[in-house]
Amino acid sequence: MTVEGSVTAVVVRLKLSLLRNGLRQSAGRRAAYVFSVVVVLLIAALQFLGLIALRGNTHAASVTVLLLAVMALGWAVMPLFFPSGDETLDPTRLVMLPLRPRPLVRALLAASLVGIGPLFTLSLLVGSVIAVARGGAAFVVSLVAVPLALLVCVALARAVAAANIRLLSSRKGRDLAVLSGLVIAVGAQLVNFGVQQIGTAGLGRLDPVAEVLVWVPPASAVGAVDAASAGSYGIAFAQLALSAGALVLLLRSWSRTLTRLMTSPDGSTLQAAEPAGKGERTSGGLARLLPDGRTGTVMERSLRYAWRDPKTKAAWVTSLAIGLIVPVFNALQGTGSIYFACFAAGMLGIQMYNQFGQDTSAFWMVAMTISSTRDAYVELRGRALALLLISLPYATLVVVLTSALLNDWATLPEALGLSLALLGAMLAAGAWSSARFPYSIPQEGYKNVAPGQSGLATVAIFGGMVGAALLCAPVIALTIWLNVDPGGDRWTWLLLPVGAGYGALLIFLGLRLSAPRTARRLPEILAAVSKG
Amino acid sequence: MVDGAAVRVQGLWKRFGQQVAVAGIDLELPAGKFVGLVGPNGAGKTTTLSMVTGLLRPDQGTVEVVGHDVWRDPVEVKARIGVLPEGLRLFERLSGRELLAYSGRLRGLPGAEVDKRAAQLLDVLDLAGAQHKLVVDYSTGMRKKIGLAAALLHNPEVLFLDEPFEGVDPVSAQIIRGVLERYTASGATVVFSSHVMELVESLCDWVAVMAAGRIRTHGTLAEVRGDAPSLQQAFLELVGAGGRDHGSHLDWLGGGAR
Repeated sequence: MTVEGSVTAVVVRLKLSLLRNGLRQSAGRRAAYVFSVVVVLLIAALQFLGLIALRGNTHAASVTVLLLAVMALGWAVMPLFFPSGDETLDPTRLVMLPLRPRPLVRALLAASLVGIGPLFTLSLLVGSVIAVARGGAAFVVSLVAVPLALLVCVALARAVAAANIRLLSSRKGRDLAVLSGLVIAVGAQLVNFGVQQIGTAGLGRLDPVAEVLVWVPPASAVGAVDAASAGSYGIAFAQLALSAGALVLLLRSWSRTLTRLMTSPDGSTLQAAEPAGKGERTSGGLARLLPDGRTGTVMERSLRYAWRDPKTKAAWVTSLAIGLIVPVFNALQGTGSIYFACFAAGMLGIQMYNQFGQDTSAFWMVAMTISSTRDAYVELRGRALALLLISLPYATLVVVLTSALLNDWATLPEALGLSLALLGAMLAAGAWSSARFPYSIPQEGYKNVAPGQSGLATVAIFGGMVGAALLCAPVIALTIWLNVDPGGDRWTWLLLPVGAGYGALLIFLGLRLSAPRTARRLPEILAAVSKG
Repeated sequence: MVDGAAVRVQGLWKRFGQQVAVAGIDLELPAGKFVGLVGPNGAGKTTTLSMVTGLLRPDQGTVEVVGHDVWRDPVEVKARIGVLPEGLRLFERLSGRELLAYSGRLRGLPGAEVDKRAAQLLDVLDLAGAQHKLVVDYSTGMRKKIGLAAALLHNPEVLFLDEPFEGVDPVSAQIIRGVLERYTASGATVVFSSHVMELVESLCDWVAVMAAGRIRTHGTLAEVRGDAPSLQQAFLELVGAGGRDHGSHLDWLGGGAR
């Protein structure tokens, strides 16, 4: 018993020192750490007050049940997106220690209850109970329900994390984590949509959903408090039993996974059996359509990376999505202008910035093969062409789509011309800033800038944007002039060829200017992109 | 190889802030030899090799490879050297085969020739089974082998390898060794860095010993070894770690009471 107790104490102490170590970092990171803790505590306090204010509302039970269900979902999903968030979470770190599964589960469970997340959940639970419970019996039920729901949440996170540790410690899992930002962004949109629905239709909208969730652990624990308040003790007991049963199942599954993890070899050292011939199709087909020599080679690699490299892919998906959503949604709401369609060109043009940073330190392979300004020019041109291969049709499509939605075909040529000029300006400025202000993109985690280079990145991005805007200014000025001038309408179609030609010229000049700089600064670029 | 020197380094310096990484190196590496650059961790081996191959700009000094200045005449030099750096990534989201196709074509070789050579290299290096796997999923040994294949693809005159055997399993190490021996037998030069003396002793004809950013000694293996029983002993004496004895401090370690 003493041995067991000491394991729990040791693991809890370990967790506490990990939390404390958050304070033992550089001043900036310490400030960020303290700030995030304070923000979480503030949100916890606010929701606590909000829930207390909800007391007496007819829909209080629905709201609390739904909140708890969302919370539990968060607990289940969190470890998948933030696998490295909690070091005590990783049982493979403890694999060399002589520990039995049962005490270990107890110790890890106790340790998981320490932290800002459980504290937040506890405040939500206590707030929910205060909002819902009426009468002595309900408060007695709460005494069981609150710790039970908290334990279910924590055990859920642990069980999910343990079950997926193989995936999480593999490359695919880490790739997934990089893309999770997108999932969160889409999720935020859905929540936003839901909140708007509630805003217009009232809290009653939640009731049918809550009626189901009230039987799903751990929300059923709060359901039990509500049932006890209404005097339905049988239902309350059943709902509590459901949560308790879920806890037992989760703990058992977690314990089984732990045992298996700690007694079988680590997946990362096992050679995954790969079916031979996989990937054969992808090569060849694409290459045949591309030009020969360095141009086609560079284009092929750029396009492959847009698909295969999680960071590059996330950047592309973001650009494509925002470039489409902003003009189209604005058009759908009737507030749009066809000029918003230039957003697509602008967003896609961003991909040209920091080209060599996207290579990471693998840039040395490129550097070893650039021995003249000509090589550098062809290299940059290949990258620009790969980008144009996607962005040119896409930007055109967005402009056409926007004008179709607005039924504004007369303005289409000038909007398209402006888009093309902007795309050219972005590519030109991007090529130049790639050569002049390269910076590292760390491959692990969510950061897009290595420590110490954020100033450089800011200069590169914003300087590049301002530069692109200035480069584009003549076409913008011409557009305005033709629209303001009473007789100008007849000539606005001219903006399409002018914009396209001007954009092409800008790209050509941008590449020409960037190439010698790239060729001269190869070691400096390599050093700049190899950090992190 | 006009005068028998594959690499000629003069007065090479590199500082990183306060720290001097390379403190004035003068060195001539003979052509057609298996040359080992040995030294403890932090001796400046990687910094030196990076400057010699044009990946890092020296503060001072000149480097000539097969008679051409690395910084003034990159066209001549880059086509003639192959490099396997340490601590730099490859384009890891390509499969092994795609990586070779990419780097061969970047070097301007005709596509058909690249594919032929790549297939042979993959075969010899025992990577044929993993050729369609992404390099990011390769083990350390497989990465070194695919890196070596990429460095050899254009048949360079001088091959620079930074710690090619670090973290490599014995089977892969033996394969790499075989390929390198075949390559030098044809008259090409291999320059590689290592801190594993047994390996250097068994592979190299010619050795340069580095410590604290300087060359301590250089010459044929026999010259550097001198009277010492092994290169390891000679090396330890050279870098001044020979007589260290911690015997009495850890007298509790091993046997008896726990």
